Amino acid sequence: MVTQTPFLLALSFDGLEKWARIAAGFAKPAGYTLLITTLGILLGLGLGLFFALMRISKVKPVQWVSKIYIGVIRGTPLLLQLLLIYFGLVQIVRLERIPSAIIALGIHNGAYIAEIIRGAIQGIDRGQREAGISIGMTKWQIMKRIILPQALKRAVPPLGNQFIIALKDSSLASAVSIPELLLHARQLGSSSFRTMEMLLIAAAYYLVMTSVLTFFSTRLEKRLSVSDHRT
Amino acid sequence: MKDNHMIEIRGLNKFFGKLKVLKNIDLDVRESEVVVIIGSSGSGKSTLLRCTNFLEKSQKGTITIDGNVVTHKSKDLHIIRRDIGMVFQHFNLFPHMTVLGNVLEGLTQVKKLSKNEALEIAEAMLEKVGMSDKADVYPSFISGGQKQRVAIARALAMNPKIMLFDEPTSALDPELVGEVLVVMKDLAREGMTMMVVTHEMGFAREVADRVIYMDEGIIVEQGTPEEVFDNPKNERTKAFLSHII
Ligand SMILES: Nc1ncnc2c1ncn2[C@@H]1O[C@H](COP(=O)(O)OP(=O)(O)O)[C@@H](O)[C@H]1O
Ligand SMILES: [Mg+2]
Repeated sequence: MVTQTPFLLALSFDGLEKWARIAAGFAKPAGYTLLITTLGILLGLGLGLFFALMRISKVKPVQWVSKIYIGVIRGTPLLLQLLLIYFGLVQIVRLERIPSAIIALGIHNGAYIAEIIRGAIQGIDRGQREAGISIGMTKWQIMKRIILPQALKRAVPPLGNQFIIALKDSSLASAVSIPELLLHARQLGSSSFRTMEMLLIAAAYYLVMTSVLTFFSTRLEKRLSVSDHRT
Repeated sequence: MKDNHMIEIRGLNKFFGKLKVLKNIDLDVRESEVVVIIGSSGSGKSTLLRCTNFLEKSQKGTITIDGNVVTHKSKDLHIIRRDIGMVFQHFNLFPHMTVLGNVLEGLTQVKKLSKNEALEIAEAMLEKVGMSDKADVYPSFISGGQKQRVAIARALAMNPKIMLFDEPTSALDPELVGEVLVVMKDLAREGMTMMVVTHEMGFAREVADRVIYMDEGIIVEQGTPEEVFDNPKNERTKAFLSHII
């Protein structure tokens, strides 16, 4: 029979070594978390940019497609989207768990990122476009060279925020049995009867990763502000 | 001033919804002519400039630029626009590019010049407006007057046949107005065809070949600065001038 020792007692000296080993064992699941989050976000960025441009198109049907995508994704839970894509796509194409989770996270974040980018684009002064027009730039040149660089710069803080949300949301991928952080913690917790400790280790991993993300997004924000006058 | 018409506007009508902003405007501007447009706020001065540059779609009328009839349906509108430089009240510099970058943009992206060719022209333009020493600075670090001079350099870099100025000094602190006007006077002297909306009556008197007074979308009166300022014929012109002088 295993009896539960209090958490602090477990941190005796030779226990420490054991815990260090267990914590190190979380690195691989954290790798899965990072993998599906990073690729999911990259896909989300692509989709987000694409649907943001569609959303501001002057062609109504193009706008509608984007509106429907954003509406449907934001109006349904991510967990459901993950399950739907995993079980739904498997019927059509052979799809592994991990790619299906990446696709689901990508599609999900794409909708939010589309709104972030659209807002940032629409926040750019109309005069910027007109200045581009007046020197003979084409619509696409203006978007690529004038509007997007300014809009994306403004979008860095909300995008950073969205990345952090995505990292945490990736824990829902445990529902399709991807051995990411949370699933690992729960499995290890129930097999060792130390759920609390395992969850806390997972929490520490999440915290470190989100802190690193925050750090880099703040740094990027600073780097991009060289053109701004600081008063 | 030469005899040929650089701009010919015929029967130009512009609505914003139901609001008729330009009413059958006819206007010819000759090569090297400097036309100053005055009038109270909301009379349609900006809209007239913006239609000339096709920033606004007019509903009726034709615009001929240097002999070519241009309509909104023209396929190569963005090519025609290279011939028409525009300077805005609020400068509209690209904030994410340096001063030099702003001037280079049209040369490298629109004219597709090589880096070296573009640099040579851009530097010459900055020199011309006296902004060479700020080439590597971002626009948010320079004064309004300096911004406007860079905006003029950016437009000039495209080697336009026509320059349109929409209240280029209205957003400036009074002490910065002069430096911009100096640049504009130089341009006029060099023979640039210019349409200038401004409240700077001193500039109009000194530089304009013709002054146009607009009210409610109509050209009410036009003539030499002396004719319009010293002997206005129309009652509305008189009322406007008595307000501002
Ligand atoms: N984009 C627009 N949409 C609706 N009304 C406009 C727009 N631009 C200008 N107007 C209106 O057109 C009229 C003329 O404006 P404008 O040409 O800017 O006058 P001005 O430059 O002489 O002050 C004004 O009544 C203004 O409110
Ligand atoms: Mg105006």
